[in-house]
Amino acid sequence: MSGYWIGLITILSINVIFAYGIFLAVATGQLNLGGAGFQALGAYAAAYLAMEMDQPLFVTIASGMIVAGVIGFAISFPILRLKGVYLVLGTFAFAEVVAGLILNSDALGGATGLPVPTFIDWDVPAIAAVIVAVGVFWLMSTRFGLVVRSVHDDEVVADLMGVNVRMVRVCAFALGAALAGLSGALYAHAYSFVEIQVFNASLSIYVLLYVLLGGAQTAWGPLFGAAFFTLLPEALRDTLPALKEAVFGALGIEGAATPPDESWRFVILGVATVLMMIFRPEGLITRTMVERLRPLNRAPRAARAEAAE
Amino acid sequence: MLLLQQIANGLMLGSVYVTVAVAFTLTISILNFLNFTIPTLFMLAGMVGWSLAFWGLPFGISGPLPWPLALAGGVVVAIVASLIVERFTFRYLKTRYGDSTEHAIPLVSSLGFLLILENLVRIEHGSDAQRFPGPSADLTLSLAGIHLRVPQVVSLAVVVLLVLGLVWMMKSSRIGRMLRAIAENPDAAGILGIETRRVVPVVFMLTGMLCGLAGALFAVNYGEVSPQMGEDIGSKAIAGMVVGGLGSLWGAVAGGVIIGLIEMMTIHWAGADTVQATVWGALLITLLIRPQGLFGHHAIGKGKL
Amino acid sequence: MTQPLLKVDDLSKSFGGLAVISEVSFEVPAGGRLALIGPNGAGKTTMFNLLTGVYRQDVGTVTLDGEVIDAYPSRARIGLGMARSFQNIRLMPHLSVVENVMLGQQSRARGWRDFVAPVSAFGRSAAYREAEDLLASMNIETRPGDVVATLPYGIRKKIEVVRALAAKPKLLLLDEPAAGLNAVETASLRDFLLQISETGVTLLVVEHDMSLVRSLCTSTVVLNFGRKIYDGPVSKVHEDPQVLEAYLGPRHAGEKEAAHV
Ligand SMILES: Nc1ncnc2c1ncn2[C@@H]1O[C@H](COP(=O)(O)OP(=O)(O)OP(=O)(O)O)[C@@H](O)[C@H]1O
Ligand SMILES: [Mg+2]
Repeated sequence: MSGYWIGLITILSINVIFAYGIFLAVATGQLNLGGAGFQALGAYAAAYLAMEMDQPLFVTIASGMIVAGVIGFAISFPILRLKGVYLVLGTFAFAEVVAGLILNSDALGGATGLPVPTFIDWDVPAIAAVIVAVGVFWLMSTRFGLVVRSVHDDEVVADLMGVNVRMVRVCAFALGAALAGLSGALYAHAYSFVEIQVFNASLSIYVLLYVLLGGAQTAWGPLFGAAFFTLLPEALRDTLPALKEAVFGALGIEGAATPPDESWRFVILGVATVLMMIFRPEGLITRTMVERLRPLNRAPRAARAEAAE
Repeated sequence: MLLLQQIANGLMLGSVYVTVAVAFTLTISILNFLNFTIPTLFMLAGMVGWSLAFWGLPFGISGPLPWPLALAGGVVVAIVASLIVERFTFRYLKTRYGDSTEHAIPLVSSLGFLLILENLVRIEHGSDAQRFPGPSADLTLSLAGIHLRVPQVVSLAVVVLLVLGLVWMMKSSRIGRMLRAIAENPDAAGILGIETRRVVPVVFMLTGMLCGLAGALFAVNYGEVSPQMGEDIGSKAIAGMVVGGLGSLWGAVAGGVIIGLIEMMTIHWAGADTVQATVWGALLITLLIRPQGLFGHHAIGKGKL
Repeated sequence: MTQPLLKVDDLSKSFGGLAVISEVSFEVPAGGRLALIGPNGAGKTTMFNLLTGVYRQDVGTVTLDGEVIDAYPSRARIGLGMARSFQNIRLMPHLSVVENVMLGQQSRARGWRDFVAPVSAFGRSAAYREAEDLLASMNIETRPGDVVATLPYGIRKKIEVVRALAAKPKLLLLDEPAAGLNAVETASLRDFLLQISETGVTLLVVEHDMSLVRSLCTSTVVLNFGRKIYDGPVSKVHEDPQVLEAYLGPRHAGEKEAAHV
């Protein structure tokens, strides 16, 4: 396989896992704007164990996941007491504190970063992404998933139905943190290098947008959101120059410096966000939409019984 | 003496944070909306100001403008951008689907605008920092051995006047009373005959103006602007707002100054790399121990819109 | 045998100095059908919120089946055998009908095994079949894919009752089950509730529609401004002078009831 496809599959897999990590928190109605912090924890845990302790791949990746998960679990008790804007700010601040601490840690390479000796090819992230995706689909189809979705819809009623709302939120948040950590560990090995500047505030914003734009009602949402916004720049590779010219022509700008393509990708993400919040705030893929695509579910009970015979 | 000098610097730095923090707190207290475009508006004013002073008006209408005029242009662009943001993030985005994340719709939408505005500026001007051709930043004033730069002192004065003006406006003017009624209860305000649609843009105008002025002051003070300049200031301003307490104007003032001081003290004792950890640490600890901050109201920012 | 299923003793609650429930006591016999009525703002919904633990009473005790339940958090009370519906329909809008009913089974889930048991339509799990059977036994025919938000109002009202039933409660608290229903739907709801009552479930119903109260319930408690002003058989309630006064006299009473619908 060519380097281009390898790179694409790797980043796609990492983004999908990362998005599922944030999705689990959002699915309970908690906006987690601290994704980069958990990813950084996983990445640095894996990098440190691989670099300084010569641990095998299996151990480093598992540790990345566990470190992020355990810290997510511990922080979730105070942080999930916060609501609304406070929760958004709290998770955001958490990520910044993590970045700030790593920046000042000599053991973790500070501002220069850490090299990671064990390199992984595209296959490990891809397999991990498939396992995570299947796992999240399964989880959402269990009673736990049912309870997660109820807490999202109406926590007072969920509580009266006997749901331990706090426990559900803590579990979902911590599990999500572990997945974000896993994506970080995979990142560390796939790119053979970690530096804290990568795990910045923008990354937390992007991954939350992947989830919200894809839709947080079903497990299809983050999969679709992450895939769409990872693959979009590739799809635009050819059409972008034409688009640019058109836009520049319209604005009357001539001979402007060739803009970085990254920026256009983010402009498109931003426009998509604004439009989605106006026209479809619940995200692209909704529960109703998924149900409509399942023909069996459109039939009443009796008809289905017949069809089954 | 060095410490005193650092405290003086912290106060000066704090004055820029204060302006942006006041913008944040204004939107949150009246609209219960954490507006993430605020740092971008700040950056926009600075970058547009620079562009006007360096290149002049677009389409070859004019050559480079004198710097005060250029900065005024930057402020106007920030206000216009803020009104555009209002049009798309806030006006039609009220309760459309009932669940626990719906209060986040304007917030998410403002994240979208953050991406759009910041990257459009990058596309237009590149990511590099640019030197702002303002007045000499070296003009200093010595007071009992502490050196104060004249632009900083002017900024501080402007900020104090701005905040006093705002506090007066919120307290005593007709529009201020309307805004407070909306903050109290938007539905009741509507019943009382306040046209929310007409009044809410005022909040965004003020936001644009505050951010624009802060951006202009920043450009003059530091003599340098960049598409990234909003990120740092934005985070300090958010920290200041939270420490001071969401929804309180004086809280934002106190918080902005406190953050400025924390920053200078951190640099003094631990080095610049530690600032990120201490400032955000202060924010996180405030949130976990006393979410209402020094002067805030606990109810703000908690529930749905 | 003589022990009541629900016993409310001297219950009081005030919000910021405003007494909403004052020294209310009443009993609901096991298997009974009691109506809790009163003008708007009398404190009926607040009473339900106190019983289910959404609010904590300032004074008084609530006894369910011989056990004082005041110390139980709201989440645990459904497990004691007390399930409720809400005045404004509060089904989970993004869950399907069957999933809403399965949520009602939540209080019976025990241990982590129950939490990771699949509940989807594909697995045809036990929980799923049970919910579907319960819906069918109550003559509610739905498709598994129906998301609640798309269904008619009358059906949603019934589904809310079925969701509460899925907890297998001893006592069912219904907050204005007939509000917003037309005469035909109300009649159908009455038969539905009688059918539930026949299975041994005790009913405590808040209702403004007096004809439904008369045909469904045997006895009634009337609240006015948070105080109990009547406690006795439904057949005598319209003769009680205090009740008549509360409803602004006999002629206006009829109008007021109509206004609630
Ligand atoms: N959380 C609360 N805080 C303050 N006051 C409250 C609260 N909940 C209820 N009240 C007040 O208590 C009184 C009783 O309300 P409640 O909803 O129990 O009345 P109700 O009998 O159910 O009326 P309706 O027939 O309109 O449903 C009302 O005056 C209401 O304003
Ligand atoms: Mg009521």
